[in-house]
Amino acid sequence: MILRVARKEFVDAWRDGRFRLGAALVLVLLVVSGLLARQQVERARTERAAATELERKNWLEQGDKNSHSAGHYGLNVFKDTSPLATFDRGIEPFVGTTVFLEAHRQNQSAFLPAQDATSMRRFGELSAAIALQMLVPLLVVLLAFGSLAGERESGTLRQVLSLGVRPRQLVLGKSLGLATTLAALLLPAGCFAAFLLARSSSADASGMWTRAALLAACYAAYLAVFIAGSVGVSASTRNARTALTILLSLWALNCIVAPRLASDVVHGFLPTPKLAEFDFEMQKDVQEGLDGHDARSKRLEEFTRSTLAEHGKSSVDQLPFNFQGLVMLESERMAGEVFDHHFGNLWDRIQAQDSAVAWCGLAAPMLALRAASMAFAGTDFAHHRHFARAAEDHRRDFVRVLNEDLMNNARPGDHSYTAGRTLWEKLPVFQLEPLSPRDAWASARPGVLALAAWLVASLAFLFFSAGRLRVVSA
Amino acid sequence: MKVLGLELRLFLAERATWLLLVLFAGTLAYGIANGARVGRAAEDNATTIEKGSFQWHTQVREALERQALDPRQVAGRPSVALLPPAPVPALAVGQSDLLPAHESISLWRLAKPAEARSELENPARLLAGRFDLAFVLVWLLPLFLLAAAYDLCAGDREAGTLRMVLAQGVSPWRWLATRALARGTPVLALALVATLVAGALAEQSGVGTRIALAAAVVLAYGLFWLAVAALVNAFARSAAAAATAAGAVWVGFVLVLPTLLNVVVESLHPSPSRAELVAESRAAAANAEKRGTELVSSFYRDHPELAPPGMQADMTSRMLAVQDEVGRAMDPVQQRFQDAILRQQRVVDLWRFASPAIAAHEALTDLAGTGYWRHRAFQDQVATFKDELHGYYSPKFHKRAPLTKADIATFPRFKFVEEEPSTWASRVATSAFGIALLATLAALLAASRLSARVLTA
Repeated sequence: MILRVARKEFVDAWRDGRFRLGAALVLVLLVVSGLLARQQVERARTERAAATELERKNWLEQGDKNSHSAGHYGLNVFKDTSPLATFDRGIEPFVGTTVFLEAHRQNQSAFLPAQDATSMRRFGELSAAIALQMLVPLLVVLLAFGSLAGERESGTLRQVLSLGVRPRQLVLGKSLGLATTLAALLLPAGCFAAFLLARSSSADASGMWTRAALLAACYAAYLAVFIAGSVGVSASTRNARTALTILLSLWALNCIVAPRLASDVVHGFLPTPKLAEFDFEMQKDVQEGLDGHDARSKRLEEFTRSTLAEHGKSSVDQLPFNFQGLVMLESERMAGEVFDHHFGNLWDRIQAQDSAVAWCGLAAPMLALRAASMAFAGTDFAHHRHFARAAEDHRRDFVRVLNEDLMNNARPGDHSYTAGRTLWEKLPVFQLEPLSPRDAWASARPGVLALAAWLVASLAFLFFSAGRLRVVSA
Repeated sequence: MKVLGLELRLFLAERATWLLLVLFAGTLAYGIANGARVGRAAEDNATTIEKGSFQWHTQVREALERQALDPRQVAGRPSVALLPPAPVPALAVGQSDLLPAHESISLWRLAKPAEARSELENPARLLAGRFDLAFVLVWLLPLFLLAAAYDLCAGDREAGTLRMVLAQGVSPWRWLATRALARGTPVLALALVATLVAGALAEQSGVGTRIALAAAVVLAYGLFWLAVAALVNAFARSAAAAATAAGAVWVGFVLVLPTLLNVVVESLHPSPSRAELVAESRAAAANAEKRGTELVSSFYRDHPELAPPGMQADMTSRMLAVQDEVGRAMDPVQQRFQDAILRQQRVVDLWRFASPAIAAHEALTDLAGTGYWRHRAFQDQVATFKDELHGYYSPKFHKRAPLTKADIATFPRFKFVEEEPSTWASRVATSAFGIALLATLAALLAASRLSARVLTA
């Protein structure tokens, strides 16, 4: 019986001109956005590869110079785009794509793509993810609002139930019919996306298919919440018009109001530090140390004393290596601790904000889905942090190699020492090991759990409203 | 007029109406408070920066009054270019959370791509956007208006009461227009009051024109959506159909068209690659560095008046010559970059009337002083200031002339010059006019569709 109801609902939906129009529009938007995003991502990858190659050439051909000067010359590393960014670009337009690595300083990634765009960017992006998060739920509302309330209004509900159909069967059948309708619309689009993904330049990236499967599961759950919720509302309201008003208001709250509201409220409780204060505190700690007890100069004096004692010498000129090089290694180590502390705190704060917004997903499922979607697509802050961390590790390796060269090869007091291409070639090319799906899961967890809670709650609501189904409104 | 009063009383007699109005008033107040908070933070930042800059200039002036200085002692410290706080920040946060409002300009980094640092911000927040007044006015005002006015006659037609109404001899078009106005007026009035409040919160004086224009934009935008409600009712057979159609129009204009325009713009005029720009500028720098001595001698051949005694360049003048060369090499690349973005914005300006939401949003951010054009003007003026800074120090370095008391008067200081009021006013007035035109078109279309026959068919 459930299947029969589902079949009737399926056929009805496709006969509805409004749905066909809406479905066609959504499908066109999905395909167009997918193709354009793919083109953009591929272009970004090519540009990045070209820039990386040129920058490597710059580095290798910088000429002979003091190895510490090479540290100041520095090098740029560029961020790669996740292949699944074609589906959900997430925060990518709003984080820097380039990090300048140099001695003494940990720089933040610079050049946000959104800064190089028009103000239209702020209206949001046309991506497959946005279409599924905002537009497809509207289609669901359109299909579902009259499913039971409309039948009640026109009196057919009484007839159907008088045939011996149980309310639960009817409600489940209607939901199943809607789900099948959506599946018939979205599965071909999904297959097309999978085809594009398989042909993309980085199809072998680790765990990409696992990530894609997890994404599909999250979106299926989200749409299931909308189907169950909409049919449930339609079963519980007096007439189709009331059902529509309620569903459209909920949609607007979820898709339009919630993202901005949640982000503003969360930032009220967990503010981001100000740039000037962040810089000031970090500079202060570099000079005075994290505990604030000893000035940098005092600690370096102490370091000199202990080094001399260790080697049994009375002056740094007697040491068997260039002491200046060792001091630079030591001060990089000390500064590194300060950077780790401050950047660690800043990044922890941003992740705490993201996670709080994802938990707000308990009130609006789109927030939960968005967090999970960006995490699995590899375009959330956890993934950006991974890049920033890797870039900083690369910086420290590179500065260490240069300072060690100075320490071991320059004679004490010799300021004319220069190193050349042999040393520059020792520095490996920057490579980012992608995060595994397991790591992505860690960042997606709040969103996924909130989404799961919604799924359970909406199914419970559906059963509950089926149990209370009345042929006439009270 | 009598009908209008009657309809208004009817509308206000519903409990749902009051719920709607209270909700709308709440979102407006929250939006204003949020925007004002962002504005205050910008004000604080600006004050701190200005104070630091002022102190430094005082120090330099006092030192120069006592004795001449080596320019290197002064030039090493970066000057700060500051975009003053927006005139009406409570109206719209706009691009101010994304684009930096100050830039540190060092004589030794003039040729490097500007590494503009904006405030630390969670990128997800930039993605979501702020819950500011412009958001409430552009996104939510239409929803509240449509909620109030989506059922002007479709419900009556469904119930059959429409015949009775029209039997009274009223003109269907006038009746519908009156009804739309009666239902829209309370919502629109709240929106206009909120706009005035945002203006009253402005710390700067002389924002009257901005607020008047903002009110005009809001009014035109509101009337457009009421015309949409009338249009939908001219076609729809039932209240539910009217609600669906109104919702679809909203989604089309506010959600889909702006993102489509964004895509079109970026496909038509793709931004050149920042990564390549950075790498290219480093290659140019390395190239110039290698030719340093040659560059500086050829410079002195071209500018003998600037050559130091004995034509012997020191480290500083060599660095300057190298930097000039990098600047020359990178200028076309930088220019290509700026031009692409300018072309993108021109397309947006041209096509903003495709959706009144785009036109209204652009106009409101423009009026708030947080839109594209004011930031663009800032970037352009920063570029000019860099030239000024270079022009001030370069001859002194080459001739090894000290800074003296006489140099105080011409000491370079960045001062942002606001756009001419006529420039932004004409941009915004065009937007308001365009929206009003679209509203008229929608209303005319509705009127032509409405006749007693159609209404009751």
